[in-house]
Amino acid sequence: MGTLGTAIYLAVVFVGGWWLTTRGIPKAAAGIGRRLGFRMRMTPITAKRIQRFKRIKRGYWSFLFLSITFVISLFLELIVNHRPLAIGFKGRVAFPAVEEWAGKALFFLPISSFHSRKDFGQAGENEVDYAFFRKCIENPDALRPEIRKAEEKMRRAEKRFKRLSPPGKDASEFQRERYARRKAAYEKRKGQYETVLAARKDFESGEAWILPTLYPFSPNKVRTDIEERPPNSPSLELGIPLGTTTSGRDVLVLLLYGYRISVAFALIVAFVGYFVGILVGGIQGYFGGWVDILSQRFVEIWGSIPFLFTIMLIGSLMTPNFLMLAVLMIVLRSWLGITFYVRGEFYREKAKDYVQAAIGAGVSDWKIIVKHILPNAMVPVVTFAPFGIVAYIGSLVSLDYLGFGLPPGTPSWGALLRMGLENVKFHPYLVTVPVVALSLTLFMVVMVGEAVREAFDPKVFSRLR
Amino acid sequence: MHGMASYFIRRLALVPVTFACITFLVYAIMRLAPGGPIEQARLQMLASQAEGGGGGGDISQTGETTLPKEALEQLRKFYKLDKPIFIGYLVWLGLYPDEHKEGRFSGILQGDFGTSYRWNDPVLDTIVSKFPISIYFGLIGYLATWIVCIPLGVFKALKHRSVFDTATSILVFIGYSIPGFVAALALMLLFATDNFGMNWFPLGNFRSENWDAMWAKGETWWCIKDQLSHTFIPLIAYMMAGFATMTILMKNSLLDNLGADYVRTAFAKGLSERRVVFLHALRNSLIPICVGIGGAIGLLFAGSFLIEKTCNIPGMGLLGYNSLIVRDYPVLMGILTFGVLIRLVGNILSDIVLALVDPRVRFS
Repeated sequence: MGTLGTAIYLAVVFVGGWWLTTRGIPKAAAGIGRRLGFRMRMTPITAKRIQRFKRIKRGYWSFLFLSITFVISLFLELIVNHRPLAIGFKGRVAFPAVEEWAGKALFFLPISSFHSRKDFGQAGENEVDYAFFRKCIENPDALRPEIRKAEEKMRRAEKRFKRLSPPGKDASEFQRERYARRKAAYEKRKGQYETVLAARKDFESGEAWILPTLYPFSPNKVRTDIEERPPNSPSLELGIPLGTTTSGRDVLVLLLYGYRISVAFALIVAFVGYFVGILVGGIQGYFGGWVDILSQRFVEIWGSIPFLFTIMLIGSLMTPNFLMLAVLMIVLRSWLGITFYVRGEFYREKAKDYVQAAIGAGVSDWKIIVKHILPNAMVPVVTFAPFGIVAYIGSLVSLDYLGFGLPPGTPSWGALLRMGLENVKFHPYLVTVPVVALSLTLFMVVMVGEAVREAFDPKVFSRLR
Repeated sequence: MHGMASYFIRRLALVPVTFACITFLVYAIMRLAPGGPIEQARLQMLASQAEGGGGGGDISQTGETTLPKEALEQLRKFYKLDKPIFIGYLVWLGLYPDEHKEGRFSGILQGDFGTSYRWNDPVLDTIVSKFPISIYFGLIGYLATWIVCIPLGVFKALKHRSVFDTATSILVFIGYSIPGFVAALALMLLFATDNFGMNWFPLGNFRSENWDAMWAKGETWWCIKDQLSHTFIPLIAYMMAGFATMTILMKNSLLDNLGADYVRTAFAKGLSERRVVFLHALRNSLIPICVGIGGAIGLLFAGSFLIEKTCNIPGMGLLGYNSLIVRDYPVLMGILTFGVLIRLVGNILSDIVLALVDPRVRFS
């Protein structure tokens, strides 16, 4: 792919990400909301708050940057992947990266991104070696050693096979079986040799093409193209902008995939937790009385559980996956904090005339809670959300750092940081890269949070002298 | 005061309930989970066998070591796993006679935290032996946070919206967004390795290894210097946690008060700005900060898993971390007990302090 192609690719990624974030997703969400019967009309006061938020540039730009990069990262398999976007060989076309992405996005459908080597001019039954395929297109001579190897293997199988004479009528079961086995082995090797030999012609005649992703490396793939022993320091010449880990994985790739996991985790934990917390807090504040007292006690007790300790304990007993970790985090922590605020808001709002009027008019409790009070009690939720996200990203990183989090091999910032700690003396970039990435991300989220707080809940200080 | 007294009594009455709920929950998780102490013992045995018979013994033969049934039963008894979870919990608590102690009641209520599976030391001694390190970092970190944050917050409030305020705000936000252990890691990279030519501090550890020897030799000055240089990086990391919140709390609290009517009155009667700010407004705006004093009891038990792991400080956090890895349940339960109790009592203490310093506050 030439420079122009790369530029177009990048442009598509960023413009697409920008469009999806600012237009596509909001519109789609509004459309779905309308179908479900929610009327999306902004009250003047909300519109004013959003206007105010947009005017706080550092927060607004941080918000745009974070949300656009996160939306882009949802398509990471199409951008950073050792599998190519599309690959063609002798009329056979496949889209491995797209299939991988679709398989993850539509996890309930059995979509496989596996393509066998034999269909793409390589010997064997494993998955295609895409990097080698690319090399062959650039220079079909790269196939030479492969051909030699295949030929050697074929000759060896042939020798072993030819040594036997075909079993006669009185041959034993064992002889017959051995003959069949060696014949099959020989035929297999011969087939492989022919495939590779024929492939050379196809590569030379330009019947093979490939459309690789922007950065054709995957988080769980070792950078075999680097000849020096890992860890390798960052080097643009070698094509490792952020270096490799001690096991030879590409740090940039891990960082990008880790960003997606961290942010997705925090968003899920925050949103689900707030949903539960609003529900509980709303019920407490609205009904009051015994419901309130009992559930308050429960929340108090539950909140006293040292949650990181408990998650670590559970994490040390079994390796939790992403979803389990998120559920643990929600159950043990994220729904608690917001209940106090929502409860307080509901207490306050319930005493107001409009709620009393609604109760008098016989509107159902549920409807009052959701439609009347909730929109007026959202300020603490909105202002706390960004700080919650900071906390949950931090928690996931901490757990991974200590080794009680996501399963080993998952691209995570915590694991990178731990590797940094182990190599702090001799491989400084292994510390610098994740520390800078984490700090910058969290700093931007804090900026968003500060701006949201300023816009939604402004404090006006008058100062006398 | 009557309502308040009953409020605090109710709060105190809730402590045992909360405590029991949490400890039981964790106890149950430990008991139900796979890979308990017997599994650990088996693994250890396996490892020692593999080492001992490494000469040519057939290791694959011992790969599936199964203990004889009696031995297993004995082990279960030794680790008190032969009883149902609830009874086991009551034994641990000290409300059910313990067979191992001739049927006496011997649990945490009697001050018996059991013995460590791993080190065979009494758990209580192990935990108490970590108190000095906790208090050391806890106290210094606490004081340092106060000494930095209160003046900074006051100054920011007085210079609200000035360049100084904005600049320090950015600093505060950076401090808020970077977790303590990440800061420790970054500081270690910057100031404890040769990578940036600023190898000024030691790379982790609480003290140098030969500290005790030097102390015995009477090299007091060297010892103090050594201790301080080891303290710097973890101290900054510990301060990161409370630094931002405390500064902003101080600033906002003072700003709130500066806009209050009594300050207007004070100005109106002709007091100097100095007097108004430092004598009238500051006193009131320290109230929210004072609430934190109740948490000071946590100093006894300070010690973050993350920072102690990063800086390799053998305190409470590292003890907990190592116990988690080797599944040393009695130690973990001991740490949990102290942690929960201190937190619960600290919360109540905070409320009492608040009620003492602020006569307007009424709990009921």
